[in-house]
Amino acid sequence: MAEGERSPRQLLVIGVVGGLVGIYLANYLNSMTGTAWFSFFAALGAVIAVFWGADAVRRVASYGLGTGVPSIGMLSIGAGQVAVLLGLAVALNYGIHWAAPIIALILAAIIGVVNGIMARRVIKMNIAIMERSMTEIAMAASLIILGFSTAIAGGFAFDVIMKYVVAPGFIIAVFIVGGMAMLHPFNACLGPDERQKRTLNLALSTGFIAMLVAGIASGAINGVQAAVPTMIIAIFGWIIYYLRFFADTKQDAAAMLSTGLLPKEEEVA
Amino acid sequence: MFSLLYWVWIILGGILIGAGVHFIPVGGAPAAMSQATGVGTGTTMLAAASGLTGLIGAGSAFAASGGNFAYTIVMGGVSAALMISILGFIANVMYVYGAGVPLASAKVKYDPISKWRQDLYVSRGTEGHGTPMSSFVSGIIGAFLAGVGGALVYFALAASYAGIPGFSATFGGYPAPYYVSLAAAFAIGIFFLNCVMASYNIGGTIEGFHDPKFRRLPKSIAASLVVSAVGGLFALLIVVMLPGGI
Amino acid sequence: MVELGALTLVGAAALIAGVAEDLESDVGSQSNPNSQVQLAPQMGYLHRLYNKAISGEPASYPFYAAIGASTALSVLSVTGNSGLIGVFFALVAGAFVTSLIHGVYATTSYMGRLASQSRFGQPIYLDVLRTHTPVLMAHGFVANFSVLLLTWVLIAQHFSPFPFVVLAFIWGIALGGVGSAVGDVHLGTDRYYQDRPYGSGVNAAHSGSVVRKAESGLRNSIDCAWFCSKFGGPLTGLGFGLVVYLHFWKEVVVTSWWSALAGVIIVVIFVIMNTYLERYSRQRYGTYKEEVEE
Repeated sequence: MAEGERSPRQLLVIGVVGGLVGIYLANYLNSMTGTAWFSFFAALGAVIAVFWGADAVRRVASYGLGTGVPSIGMLSIGAGQVAVLLGLAVALNYGIHWAAPIIALILAAIIGVVNGIMARRVIKMNIAIMERSMTEIAMAASLIILGFSTAIAGGFAFDVIMKYVVAPGFIIAVFIVGGMAMLHPFNACLGPDERQKRTLNLALSTGFIAMLVAGIASGAINGVQAAVPTMIIAIFGWIIYYLRFFADTKQDAAAMLSTGLLPKEEEVA
Repeated sequence: MFSLLYWVWIILGGILIGAGVHFIPVGGAPAAMSQATGVGTGTTMLAAASGLTGLIGAGSAFAASGGNFAYTIVMGGVSAALMISILGFIANVMYVYGAGVPLASAKVKYDPISKWRQDLYVSRGTEGHGTPMSSFVSGIIGAFLAGVGGALVYFALAASYAGIPGFSATFGGYPAPYYVSLAAAFAIGIFFLNCVMASYNIGGTIEGFHDPKFRRLPKSIAASLVVSAVGGLFALLIVVMLPGGI
Repeated sequence: MVELGALTLVGAAALIAGVAEDLESDVGSQSNPNSQVQLAPQMGYLHRLYNKAISGEPASYPFYAAIGASTALSVLSVTGNSGLIGVFFALVAGAFVTSLIHGVYATTSYMGRLASQSRFGQPIYLDVLRTHTPVLMAHGFVANFSVLLLTWVLIAQHFSPFPFVVLAFIWGIALGGVGSAVGDVHLGTDRYYQDRPYGSGVNAAHSGSVVRKAESGLRNSIDCAWFCSKFGGPLTGLGFGLVVYLHFWKEVVVTSWWSALAGVIIVVIFVIMNTYLERYSRQRYGTYKEEVEE
């Protein structure tokens, strides 16, 4: 692992804790105050999960998946979606509303492990960390979906999510925007000189764009209370991390020219 | 109540989706440079494109016929096959007139269906171009299977969820009932799950049923079976968890 | 009759969506031919082309459609006006917000990919970024708006029971699939390798040697879109228009099981047309090499 890089375990802890804390804060602060002002916490939790998921995608895709980076993101977010909704239904059935995100996370881990075992043992893909990565990506995907859905709906009860997120079809928007936020960073930085810091700055930037979309969608459900704080924080977060990504790019690129002809043969190092 | 029959439909649907991906001729990135036989897209995404168009057909059929099993399945398959036949044909028009190449495969000497000579028509340094007869027909079969698979998954989910009390409601001004939205969202998710697994099995490009890589199909069936079983189980357990509805 | 009229509008919107989608992916050099643009610096061919890698067209067009659809629904619920003008404004707003996000993703992809190829000496040209990004945002806007419009009409006329966002998502994937299959070939085989003779696939030995010096000055991706608008774009539009139109046409003119039969008949017609096309291409173009007598 290179100098100054974050370790996988560090990112897993940040992702799980950050995601869960954000989702719980949003749900309970909203229900305690009876408003929707705190929905943005769930979206922030989802952004942290994007941060984690993008690194997991990065680790597994560097081995060479054969079909490109987007495939693993789509697979996991498709699986994560089912896990989330089952987790919420289980919590509703057994009356343990508070445990819903944790159950969703565990179910996503189960699907992730199954996918990883199938990919490595049955399809015989030669990637040593496949099971662990698939599990991590599925868990991150479930937190992303649950986080953005909670931000849209204002809470994570099953009937609330069903009514406000699934029925209008926002669940698919969360699916693709969250999935894209997770897989775009590594796909966009693909190449021999890819660096974790630059990729993860981009991950936070795409995460905040996803938060912006969730904020717009939440406006349809909870109006100004949910939409305005979410959108404002998303725009600020995006600006900060996009500028950091730009600075990283300037540092890493062979040259960043305002305009110019192609470099001559001699100029290329 | 957990319905074993619907679970079997989802598993079967998943297997058919995975199998369909193996039939659809994909040349990947090289096909766009007329270096490989097949359509110029990725395996996952082309199967998803045609299969999900089939899903639209299945959804309309399910709603129009009030849940008729046979009609939903057939319309799902036919819609998907229609989409890929148009796509393949227009792509071939592009190859013939835009790139100026005859349609040919480099993997076989004589096309299994049309019996036309292939290797003399392959330009130098390439592995074929366009979608000749066998690949085209193989694509139609593949899209039909993927469409039927997607329709099976959608039918099982929609029929299960329609039985939950309160799931036929709609919210606000949005016209789609809960069970349609949830079934469609899950069908898309399970679709991607199986498509990606199958494309990992193929590992790049495939020309159709006459391609040597086609013999890898059994591994994909096994993987799709397990993955769809788990995914389908999770999706159907929601019915069990909500006996009283919402 | 109303249904057929609405369906014609849907087909026309699909045609425009197809044209705009292909041109947008040509300006951004997305999807399959992008592999050559990606390879070029490695082979020593530095370029001034765009390098947009947002996971391929069939994955990025549903992304735009879903964002546009969500935004449109949100705007509609805020304005509360569901008359014709209200809906139109909401769809435009949805497509507009999406084009902004599209532009951001495109710039990050160009910068990210080129910075990860710094060892080959490929510079990042900010003027390429500045000139190309608005063009591809504009084409993306047209494509996305057309998809949203056709989805809206389909739902309003009860052609499909799916929610708006889900249906827009699926038509986005279908659009990306058609655009990738049809339009990319014109760009990849014809324009990127314009110095090679017409009538042959690109020899694998020539991979990466894309045309970098244009008719006048250096080649950029907007030139490529100009070229592809002559054939690739319209053909993609025709393809996607046919896909959408025939998909619902068979359910409008006949109902129930006759629709399935109509679908099968249309598939058979296309197989026959493909056979004639294949035979024509063989007779017209002839073989590349003579049969070697052993």
